[in-house]
Amino acid sequence: MLARHYIGESWKHGLLIIGALIVLIPFYMMVSMSLKSQQEIQSISGGLVGAQEIQTFPVCTKHGYTEEVCTMRPYKYNFWFAFKKAPIPRYLMNGLIVTVSIFLIQVLIALPCSYALAKLRFKGREFVFSMVLFCLLIPVHAIALPLYVMLAKAGLVDTYAALIIPWTISVFGIFLMRQFFMTVPDELIDAARMDGMGEYSIVWKVMLPVAIPALLAFAIFSVVAHWNDYFWPRIVITGNRDLFTPPLGIREFRGGIDSDEFGPMMASIVTVTIPLIVAFIVAQKRFVEGITMTGMK
Amino acid sequence: MHHSKAHIWFVWPAIILMIVILILPIFLAGGISFTNYNLGNSSFEWVGTENYEKMFSRKTYIKMIISTATYVLIVVPVSVVLGLVAAIMLNSLRFGADIYKTIFFLPVMATLLAMAIAWEFTLHPTLGIINSYLANGCGGIREFILGFHWLPWVSSEDSWYSVACANNMDFPYWLKDKKTAIWTICFIGVWQAFGFNMVLYLAGLTSIPRELYHAAEMDGAQSTWEQFKLVTWPMLGPTTLFVVTITTIRSFQVFDTIEILTKGGPAKTTYVMMYAIFEKAIQQNITSIGAAITVVFIIFIILLTFFQRYVIEKRVHY
Repeated sequence: MLARHYIGESWKHGLLIIGALIVLIPFYMMVSMSLKSQQEIQSISGGLVGAQEIQTFPVCTKHGYTEEVCTMRPYKYNFWFAFKKAPIPRYLMNGLIVTVSIFLIQVLIALPCSYALAKLRFKGREFVFSMVLFCLLIPVHAIALPLYVMLAKAGLVDTYAALIIPWTISVFGIFLMRQFFMTVPDELIDAARMDGMGEYSIVWKVMLPVAIPALLAFAIFSVVAHWNDYFWPRIVITGNRDLFTPPLGIREFRGGIDSDEFGPMMASIVTVTIPLIVAFIVAQKRFVEGITMTGMK
Repeated sequence: MHHSKAHIWFVWPAIILMIVILILPIFLAGGISFTNYNLGNSSFEWVGTENYEKMFSRKTYIKMIISTATYVLIVVPVSVVLGLVAAIMLNSLRFGADIYKTIFFLPVMATLLAMAIAWEFTLHPTLGIINSYLANGCGGIREFILGFHWLPWVSSEDSWYSVACANNMDFPYWLKDKKTAIWTICFIGVWQAFGFNMVLYLAGLTSIPRELYHAAEMDGAQSTWEQFKLVTWPMLGPTTLFVVTITTIRSFQVFDTIEILTKGGPAKTTYVMMYAIFEKAIQQNITSIGAAITVVFIIFIILLTFFQRYVIEKRVHY
């Protein structure tokens, strides 16, 4: 019986390991290319990290650096040159500015609204809630074109505002918070009113602290989605490099796939991708919880 | 109940934003789709249903509908089944489940655009490790396994693998060949999506009470498969409904991989709707036809969700 159990288990591990290897292939490729020299990449040799021989890089000297500066190990060169060629910190900063602003505005709008929908009685409440339910059906990407027309008419293309405005309303956030507030006992709110608190202070001083777990889940959901979003920035940012978010930066690095060096290109892609992956691995439980909690509704 | 006017200030900002950002654009798209308006033009004319007629008669748009449908009909079932299988396997493991979970969830978190580029190099005909792996396997065990020589009806001469080996390592060009491009894009779609489905199924599995399995065993459901049919699958009904809905909506919106890897080609075999909207309306500035595609797209998605929420939902509650 026990032996049978172990055989069953190792069979599963076998399948799962094959699956895991397939899943990891592009990650392997990405990391490996960011470390190796151009010759090793083109001849598909050197395994994961390559030989790391100190050498002089011709593309670097062509850019006007002295031979001395351009002589180093491939992994160092790839990352060094990537930062020389593109304003990577700027892209990461933009990503941060956009995702954080989106999240803060979403909370600012959604939290009071969901509190009112869950705990206040007023005329038209049912109507507002059914409006929220209807809007849940509309993916913002699907209406990107008319939104783009509106923003273009308002002269907002190529601004931070264009990156942020369409995402300021999260009906999903309203729905999630409302469901969460429904479970908060009325006594808590009544007690706060007895203490003479107004509705505004109740929202920000009583409900907000209570809602932290749900907000954290929502934060992960929102930040991940907008950090990775490529479609919308691609539409509203047409050329101003100063406004590039990480995915737009990635696209720019790729530029000429046949002409340029692959090492520095992959190094920039790794740099831009890594913050979120590291955050995920460190706080894995929270991430999975966040995604499932927001996912299950 | 408490009386205060506070709700006005709480609710109205959200209502205004919902109307301006989510509802108004639908009507705007509807309006533009009946005109010949292009962004930048000061005037326009009403052209009736001309844009829609173009959409349903021109070859380009028929190809668009075919490639979108292919993508959705492949990625949704495959990633849902894979997610379910992975969840059930992980749920029954005694150790190691967390490591697999992390790995399978990585593609969900990682920036898809970056991963698309990584796949581009992995699948590259000359630089990629996939084709070099295949080429190094000619005449060996890889050829035997991946060439399906172990199937009695596949002779070792005419399997795809042996033919490629014999023809000077003529392995598929994946994203560059019109026969394989859409399937490769679908593969990347499944690769990215199944981990998300797996996590949702894992959450669904933990909510199934143990007693149900004991009861099923009492009733004579001994094998794993019978228990799955009798308990697991019906109990996962709501999860499945949700997973299918969200995967379908996301698959309809596939864009990143297309834009970076194929640009709708070769021969428009991967010309999906989001890419069509982008190419026509943003790059070529034909706003009106882009609006018509948008309207069809929104109708698709709304119908789909309504169908899943209000029709099937009645049947999945046990």
